[in-house]
Amino acid sequence: MSEITLRINGKQRRVTVEGRTLLVDLIRDQMNLTGTHVGCDTSQCGACVVKLDGDTVKSCTVLTATLPEGTEITTIEGVSTGDLHPMQEAFSKCHGLQCGFCTPGLVVTAIDIVERSPDGLSASQVRKALKGNLCRCTGYQNIVASVLEGARAMGVQVTEEKETV
Amino acid sequence: MKLEGTFTVDRPRDEVWQVLNDAEVLRDAIPGCTALEPTDDGYEATVQLKVGPVKAKFSGTVTIKEATAPDLLVLAGEGNGGVAGFAKGEARVVLLDAPGGTEVAYEAEVSIGGKLAQLGSRLIASTSRKLADHFFTRLNEIMSGEQQREAS
Amino acid sequence: MKDTPEKPFKGRLEDRRFLTGKGRYVADITLARQCYMGQVLSTHAHARILSVDTSEAETMPGVIAVLTGADCAADGLGTVPPFFMPSLWGGPEGYATQRKILVDDRVRCVGERIAIVIAETADDARVAAETIMVDYAPLPVVTDARAATEADAPKLWDDNENGNISVSIPMGDKAATEAAFADAEVTIKRRLLSPRIAPFSLEPRVSVGNYDEADDRYTLYTSSQDPHGVRSNIARNVLKIAESRLRVVSPDVGGGFGLKAHMHPEDALVLWASKHVGRPVKWLGTRSECMLTDTQGRGQEIEVEIAATKAGKLTAIRAEAWTNLGAYFWGTATPPLFFAMQLIPNIYDVGAVDLTNHAVFTNLPPMSVYRGAGRPEATYLAERMMDELAAELGMDQAEIRKINAIAPDAMPYTTATGMTYDSGAFADMIDAAARVSDWSGYDARAEESRAKGRVRGRSLISYVEVAGVMNERMEIKFEPDGTVTIVAGTHSHGQGHATVFSEMVADWLSVPVENIRYVQGDTDKVLIGRGTFAARSSMLGGTALLRAKDALIERAKLMAAILLEADKDSLDFADGMFKVRDSNKAIALTEVAKMYYIPAGPANALGLGLTGEGTSAGKPGAAPNYPNGTMVCEVEVDPRTGALTVDRLAALDDVGRILNSTICEGQIHGGIAQGMGQALMEEMVFDEDGQLTSGSLMDYCLPRAEHMPDIASELSEVTCTTNPLGVKGIGESGAIGAPVAIVNAVLDAVRPLGVAHIDMPVTQAKLWSALRDAEAAQ
Repeated sequence: MSEITLRINGKQRRVTVEGRTLLVDLIRDQMNLTGTHVGCDTSQCGACVVKLDGDTVKSCTVLTATLPEGTEITTIEGVSTGDLHPMQEAFSKCHGLQCGFCTPGLVVTAIDIVERSPDGLSASQVRKALKGNLCRCTGYQNIVASVLEGARAMGVQVTEEKETV
Repeated sequence: MKLEGTFTVDRPRDEVWQVLNDAEVLRDAIPGCTALEPTDDGYEATVQLKVGPVKAKFSGTVTIKEATAPDLLVLAGEGNGGVAGFAKGEARVVLLDAPGGTEVAYEAEVSIGGKLAQLGSRLIASTSRKLADHFFTRLNEIMSGEQQREAS
Repeated sequence: MKDTPEKPFKGRLEDRRFLTGKGRYVADITLARQCYMGQVLSTHAHARILSVDTSEAETMPGVIAVLTGADCAADGLGTVPPFFMPSLWGGPEGYATQRKILVDDRVRCVGERIAIVIAETADDARVAAETIMVDYAPLPVVTDARAATEADAPKLWDDNENGNISVSIPMGDKAATEAAFADAEVTIKRRLLSPRIAPFSLEPRVSVGNYDEADDRYTLYTSSQDPHGVRSNIARNVLKIAESRLRVVSPDVGGGFGLKAHMHPEDALVLWASKHVGRPVKWLGTRSECMLTDTQGRGQEIEVEIAATKAGKLTAIRAEAWTNLGAYFWGTATPPLFFAMQLIPNIYDVGAVDLTNHAVFTNLPPMSVYRGAGRPEATYLAERMMDELAAELGMDQAEIRKINAIAPDAMPYTTATGMTYDSGAFADMIDAAARVSDWSGYDARAEESRAKGRVRGRSLISYVEVAGVMNERMEIKFEPDGTVTIVAGTHSHGQGHATVFSEMVADWLSVPVENIRYVQGDTDKVLIGRGTFAARSSMLGGTALLRAKDALIERAKLMAAILLEADKDSLDFADGMFKVRDSNKAIALTEVAKMYYIPAGPANALGLGLTGEGTSAGKPGAAPNYPNGTMVCEVEVDPRTGALTVDRLAALDDVGRILNSTICEGQIHGGIAQGMGQALMEEMVFDEDGQLTSGSLMDYCLPRAEHMPDIASELSEVTCTTNPLGVKGIGESGAIGAPVAIVNAVLDAVRPLGVAHIDMPVTQAKLWSALRDAEAAQ
């Protein structure tokens, strides 16, 4: 058991964790933030993606006890307060979600993709950047459209190239 | 599945034969082996193993089916790791004179089950190769240690 | 309705909770004092259980109880039969298995549940389960369905008089087929495979069971497409209690695809364990545990021969299939056995057919429904063979299909397999799909590919889906304040019912959509329902909802007549108002509704409350609607490496009257991705000992965003005549058409290089080998 102070969705939290406690389990079981999901046990589905000090991580790969004091974590619950984030709006408007299970990980990833592409974004870039996230419902078609729509709303130019795969 | 490999041990053939049949040496040299007791026709052993994401304690038996000193050893074994799965198979170990020592060639037919097969089958060949490597490296170390002791 | 610039898609009512992380899946449910269940799964595919040693587990940290099959027997738990057997659909009697929820005598596949550990934490339960030692005496194993029918094959069920065959379902006319083959100008024979694949809902299976001693009542929270079905099965077969003593709640479900259309042993185990330990018990399936224990889809080998004229007209089809049931006849395994045969004629007038499907027991985990449920196998056969015939005769892919397509004026048309299509404009769909996909621009694209050292291939295929089985019930209820609640017997788990059904009711009753609440998935709130699978909800749920509305309006009219002091038959209902014909007297439905909740006064005589219920059913013995479509696919292959890209894919779907075009297209996109997975990458691989070797995402490949082409999807509305809404189902079409669209395009690309046949999944390694073999043969 060890104690560590984290900032989760802007709030400081002192937590006690076992050596084996994964970040995703801390978030879900101790913080009761159940928007972060577990879809696999080999770190391949991306349903558990959260932001950790500005980077997206699969929270099922992070041992909480190894995090530095004061690590900043943002989960889907921290993406917006009150009004939806433009990316959340875009997912709804473009029907980029069906069962909703992969959605939190995808929204967190999508915001990160756009933030890292200030010079513009194309559909094929989005497809490549989504390689760590699985969705079994949408065929990704409307997820790609959502990310591009979200990018526009976040002020990033969308390059209208013909999609090549 | 079939596993095979060849290693060279830098000691003469009859010495290698002897250590390959010495329970104490085997216990020391088998990676993860925590217990190995001789029985009428072989050994009972407990081995801690990690294959990819599967970590388990296997307990099982090894039966010596054929032993022609110092040429050929045929072993049959099976180990049960509970939920982690099981492994069973037969191995043929041939000893040949080689420049500067002995060449040990093994061929094994192994079947695995449970989690070991589900998550580890892709890794079995490489893991067993690595384990065999450790085994023979350790065997070399033990034998050269004994040699030094004899020399002093 | 179609999205228009004036009325664009604005998102679904349920979206907000999913987008903000507030969805409520079963894994998110934590009950006070809950503990956790871990499982011991069989590591052998076929073995007698000699002993189960739980002694170490019982002493492990956090362990509360360890239960085995012996405890099940001591408690008198029952076994689980199939949901229904083929005889209920007019097929022959077959061998129905009885499955124990914990096996104590003989395991018949890997992943059988042998023991459970109940502990304080999920980790404690799993760690303790790992110490349980099961002593097995292995038995011979058979994994291949056809091999299992050999006389000397290991037998799974000793008292099955038919060896390992549960049932053989015949269809068609043997004599007519033989006659057609005798006269055939062209015959072509093939052996086709549809390997086992995983439904793989992204949410792993999960259950929470709670026994309340005060009420002598159980509650199960489970991720299910059909909570009432799960309730019946567990109450009746396992716990042997009155159904009212079990409540099943299926809240947000993270994808179903058929996997969750039936109960799984864990659903019963958590309830039973909860009674044992006196606390709620939660089971969280890990992905690798679910890969091993989930039901799987497909698993068919088929030998087919077609007869045709030199002009390309089909005259007969004969086929014999072996479907790999696995160790049990489990859940809803019956529909795929039928659909895989019944839909072989597809959109064509095929002449005579002689078909047999053998359902065979093997030492694999049980097969059950997966999106498409037999329809993809039938379509794969029909469309693979159509291309073989076109290649043999040197005909165009579109042309040969139009020659054989059933004409619209032949509707209603009964196929050689006994399905009666009510509507469909198949040849028009082919022309329209060719237009949508820029069929005529292909040559230029093929030339571009050649310039890059690649070969391009294309396909044009059609499919028919049979949608909307069984029956349904829906309820509309006015609350005392004039707001509305819909109580649905269907179960949405991504399909957007909360939006579509609410919009329909809002439109019918002229109630603002924000005043409508949608309820589903709780057997205490929903009187009875069948859930959602087999693309049934638009027609059966929609029709029942329409009838519920009609019933509600009829009852409301009684009150309106009193309030308007008019004769009931002189009232018309439109735009949310009851109006007296030829008068200016009118009253709003909402006001009428509120009067049903006034405790006293003249209106009191009508009794309390304004609700309407409606039920619906498919035609007996036949399915009620036939969505259909045409798909065009282009692939590019690098002949040196076997690397393959799906470059273009267009789908034109006749979905009947459109309820919501964006949601329809979303269903098509998702189905296409799953079909692409089946065509190119997904396969549950078992070794000869019956061990699963593709048991995690490290070895089981799923489509990702970068694998998918930009899908061109268009909808066509050919109104369905078998239901008052004119709708057809949409849930499965993409998954039915895509596998063969992709495989046919690959074969079109590599046929000139000498590759005449390839089986799914067409991986790069497989394609590379086929190309090298062809090269060596030339």
